[in-house]
Amino acid sequence: MKTRREVLQGLIVSIGGASMLAACGNAARVAVSESQSLRFFSDQELALVSRISDLLLPRTDTPGALDVNVPRFIDGLMAEWANAASKESQHRQLMDLGQMLGDDFLTIAHADAENALRELDRAAFSGNSGYGGYRALKGLITQSYFATEDGALLEQHWVAVPGRWDPCVDI
Amino acid sequence: MADFDAIVVGSGMSGGWSAKELCERGLKVLVLERGNEIVPERDYVDQMPPWEQSNLDRISEDEIARHYYKQFPGVSYAVKESNKHFWVKDDEHPYETSPGTEYDWLRGYHTAGRSIMWSRQTYRLGPQDFEANKIEGIAVDWPVRNEDIAPWYDHVEKFAGIAGNRDGLPQLPDGQFQPGFELTCAEKEFKSRVEAAFPGRNVIQARVAHITAVTEEQRALGRSNCQSRNRCHFGCTFKAYFSSLNATLPAAERTGNYTIVHNAIVQSLQYDGESNRVVGVRVIDAETMETRSYSCRVLFLNASAMASAMILLQSKSTKYPNGLANSSDQVGRNLMDHVSGAGASGLISGFENKTVFGRRPGGIYIPRYANITEHDKPYIRGFGFQGNATPLGNAGGQIAGIGRAFKESHGAAGPWRVSISAFGEQLPNPNNTVTLHPSKRDKWGNPLAVFNVGYGENERIMQAEAGKDAVAMLEAAGCTEISSRPVNLTKPGNRIHEMGSARMGRDAATSVLNGWCQAHDVPNLFITDGAFMTSSACQNPSLSYMAFSARAAHYAVDLLAQGAI
Repeated sequence: MKTRREVLQGLIVSIGGASMLAACGNAARVAVSESQSLRFFSDQELALVSRISDLLLPRTDTPGALDVNVPRFIDGLMAEWANAASKESQHRQLMDLGQMLGDDFLTIAHADAENALRELDRAAFSGNSGYGGYRALKGLITQSYFATEDGALLEQHWVAVPGRWDPCVDI
Repeated sequence: MADFDAIVVGSGMSGGWSAKELCERGLKVLVLERGNEIVPERDYVDQMPPWEQSNLDRISEDEIARHYYKQFPGVSYAVKESNKHFWVKDDEHPYETSPGTEYDWLRGYHTAGRSIMWSRQTYRLGPQDFEANKIEGIAVDWPVRNEDIAPWYDHVEKFAGIAGNRDGLPQLPDGQFQPGFELTCAEKEFKSRVEAAFPGRNVIQARVAHITAVTEEQRALGRSNCQSRNRCHFGCTFKAYFSSLNATLPAAERTGNYTIVHNAIVQSLQYDGESNRVVGVRVIDAETMETRSYSCRVLFLNASAMASAMILLQSKSTKYPNGLANSSDQVGRNLMDHVSGAGASGLISGFENKTVFGRRPGGIYIPRYANITEHDKPYIRGFGFQGNATPLGNAGGQIAGIGRAFKESHGAAGPWRVSISAFGEQLPNPNNTVTLHPSKRDKWGNPLAVFNVGYGENERIMQAEAGKDAVAMLEAAGCTEISSRPVNLTKPGNRIHEMGSARMGRDAATSVLNGWCQAHDVPNLFITDGAFMTSSACQNPSLSYMAFSARAAHYAVDLLAQGAI
């Protein structure tokens, strides 16, 4: 029987690990080295953020949040940008979020985890209070993803110099 | 023999214009800039792509607490890690407020001042703005009317490059426009529904200081058309938006008559009582602490409304013991800004299959209608709304959904959001003041500013009504999920439209400047930053600073030529 820590480490590798990056063929674009030790998240927090990131922004025909190492990016951001109060608040929010999603959120099958997050997301965007931590994390994951080179260029088709303003174009 | 024909204190929005016009008329001009030099090729960061920014371009919270505790909360949308060198460090440039009052003094000390960081909304004052004080018996009458300044608005617009539509509205006169940024399809629908529901209200293109059809004159200065990147708060490599650094200072420089000295903090103006003239300026070097003087024949104060007033108050003499050119006791009074707080946003349907291309540096504007076309208001004067209607996209993660659909929502069919915010007129009040701290000094020995500024009932009632109007217009436009924020007035100073501290007027007993921005008391002293504004109107004021600066510069050169000053 594996210890909880071993389960978590396995998860980190399976959903955010080097094998996936290699499979994606985009390792060179990853800003943060996988071997770098965590600066803010605990292993468990990283596993939670990784699973949520993967479910929010999965790999499609463009790289997903894990392919571009969003959880590690947020780990660095929280270490460098946040003050002590924000750090404490983020830890607390992740703990609350983990409780809302259930102890088994990290270990259940992908489809089940997807259902659990979808339900939480729906509640968070239905005018209910008490979901500030989730909404903030979703914002951070989304902004971080679209601030990566792949997220900006491949997914968002961000153009550095549009050169013109077209106020109404068909999708 | 003076060192220079003219000294211009400050290189920002108005100082750039004073320097350009004086140089082009043949005067040898010295520009004194208290801050460091900004070199576009070195210091603009507009070309930095998102993935090269660190931590989403956020300044660390501890650094904000140490250095940017006023600047960042005041303009968090513009103060970022990559461009923080455009904003002052609050701990190095402290100021105080009277008990029970607040003031946001948001500043950039460097070449071109805040003209690098402004948001470029550009409007003329209208005929009503110059007449209101007189008609309503408030403060003093402007010694200028629309027809006096209109040719100078033309003059500065042609050079600066203003993108806008000719809307034919008497209260917001048209100008010398280059093609505007067309409204989005949702904005056009919003316009048509609002204008149908509220005859007398108009939704127009924001008028912005961006080149869209570059002229030969602009090209010769290295400027080109706006590329719709909306990276303006980071500088502009294309020099497409107007700033002193992109336009007026290079124009001054090419005359061969221009000198600029950086890190030169003015301590006082030197006054000769016998001739009743300013004869020079005493400065301290910001880096070496060395003090020195420069002499001149004519002096333009363009240090910002607050700093220009403080320089006058620091320049005491036997004749003017309360500060130079202050026999009226109006220097440092009547501080004005614009007041915001009212606004609303909502979703507009019908455009789910449309989007936009490019990042427009403007939006929509709803010119003032209160007490212009509608006369049922429980307040005087009025406000304009700035806003836009754009696709919601994934809204930085603040919409429902997960997985592929959420990931691709940035470009997928979806709702558009309309958003509008009010900018209201603040009435002049002699008790809204900036004064010199009696004992506290900054590290260069200059007294700290003390602000005592509050809003009056008119501003409070106006914003409350503007909030209701915003919701009513969104409702009339068929918006859903309308959210109106509670009307909390912005702090005085927060709109960064500093005005009024050395007002114009017809009477030397009640005003500092005459209609030419010339000091009543001291004829070779001109002030053409926001200090001269006799009332604030509700339009963004930079274009007026430009026009009055150009007009005053030509007048001063004429007076010099006549030997009158």
